[in-house]
Amino acid sequence: MVRPRSGIMICLCGMMLLMAASRSPAFPQNANPQLLAMSCAGCHGPNGHSPSMIPSLYGRTAASIAESLRGYRADRTPSTVMGRIAKGYSDAEIDSVAQAIAADWK
Amino acid sequence: MSRLLSRRDFTRLASGLAGTWLLAGCGTSGQPAKARVVVVGGGFGGATAAKYVRLLDPGIAVTLVEPSRRFVTCPASNAVLAGLKRIDDLAQDYRELSDRHGVNVVHDTVASIDPDKRSLTLAGGNTLAYDRLIVAPGIDFRRNAIERYDDATAQRMPHAWKAGDETVLLRRQLEAMDDGGLFIISAPPTPYRCPPGPYERASLVAYYFKHAKPRSKILILDAKDQFPEQGLFEDGWKSLYAGMIEWVPLSQDGRVTEVRPDEMTVISEFGEPHKASVINLIPPQQAGKIARDAGLVNQTGWCPIDPMTCESTIHKEIYVIGDAALAGAMPKGAFAANTQAKVAALAIVNALAGRAPAAPTYLSSCYSLVAPDYGLSVIDVFRATPQGIVSVPGAGGASPRRGDPGLRAQEARYAESWYQSITDEIWHS
Repeated sequence: MVRPRSGIMICLCGMMLLMAASRSPAFPQNANPQLLAMSCAGCHGPNGHSPSMIPSLYGRTAASIAESLRGYRADRTPSTVMGRIAKGYSDAEIDSVAQAIAADWK
Repeated sequence: MSRLLSRRDFTRLASGLAGTWLLAGCGTSGQPAKARVVVVGGGFGGATAAKYVRLLDPGIAVTLVEPSRRFVTCPASNAVLAGLKRIDDLAQDYRELSDRHGVNVVHDTVASIDPDKRSLTLAGGNTLAYDRLIVAPGIDFRRNAIERYDDATAQRMPHAWKAGDETVLLRRQLEAMDDGGLFIISAPPTPYRCPPGPYERASLVAYYFKHAKPRSKILILDAKDQFPEQGLFEDGWKSLYAGMIEWVPLSQDGRVTEVRPDEMTVISEFGEPHKASVINLIPPQQAGKIARDAGLVNQTGWCPIDPMTCESTIHKEIYVIGDAALAGAMPKGAFAANTQAKVAALAIVNALAGRAPAAPTYLSSCYSLVAPDYGLSVIDVFRATPQGIVSVPGAGGASPRRGDPGLRAQEARYAESWYQSITDEIWHS
């Protein structure tokens, strides 16, 4: 009788840890980093070279992009739309899109 | 000396084997047959998809079929009605897609699609075979939803909901209108292209009236009981255009059901006639004709798709993107079409290479102007779930209701930047 209960407890704790690790709502998979970066290109320009007053992203390090996104997501950094966008992504997605942009957009 | 096959070696070996097999399969050509992707429609969805299939795999032959050599964007076309932009400012062409990205651009109309034979026939008579097809025809109007609505009506009461000649026609009518005239916008029921569009249109025409014909009024007859960013628009109207814009919702007999073009009159559901100097009748909508003819629509009049890939759930190997698609919570708009195109492009490239599909992500970013220095935005982040494409809770939303003029001015500048960026990404780079 005790074993199954503790099994459930371990499971629950595991799930809570997982949920705590990811701040965005539970979706089965993290979005593909390449697709995430391609979404950014719609406003930030092809390969992050913006033709408008929307900031360019090329040449930025993964750490600086991820830090900016976390700042927007937490409303630490004021923005018009980036706060509303960044709240849609998990930590893992923020890190992976930052790495994809830093690696591919030069 | 033996070692384990690395992943790179394995890939090289596997692709070598596949190459040999393909060579054997196509006789004396000396080259493996190129996979063929055909894209129908060169708007925000179709043009993005054509470009991204080529970017993701330059080994795929891509043909884009689009009737017009010049594509006029619906985004920013309300600024033409207000005299803030010229129609030529919104014109895009396909030179970069063909010259820089190697897309075979064919200016023709698709007459029919044969999903079993994987081919389509063009109005000019040519046949195109495909391995994967992307259908992005945009919207069409449900002409029989409004009594007596026909081609002649569209000339008297232009919809201007596909930008181009009708936009110019409506602008001329507004210019010719006497000061003190009434302008009616008949707004369609959901779903329709560009949810905030009718209200941005009312705003920018009010901006024009305020400066050129200040005694004129605008009446919005609406087939809905609410509209996107309603509070934000109404705040803007109150502060900039007090007394100029009246909105009549569905529940107060706002739905137009009949037209009398000769009398410049529209009739609402309960028989009330509304006569005006200029009438912009935006009819109820459905997926573009070719999607309906190809049997890609369900009973809603729109095309059901797999939320993971944008592949039609009716015909395999055909992907539907943009306004014609039934894409769950996503609005019908340019940015939504742009992200759907990228999901479909990657899904097709992966499928043709025998790779597993990638987990998709969708985004919508939409700006509206209440005045040239007064912008609003609405953002949504979406995920694919077994229940369809859903909006991510806690993310997205509209501009804050309590925004100061500085924020509104900043968003108006970003609206212009948004337009520059997305058109540059699709047609100019």
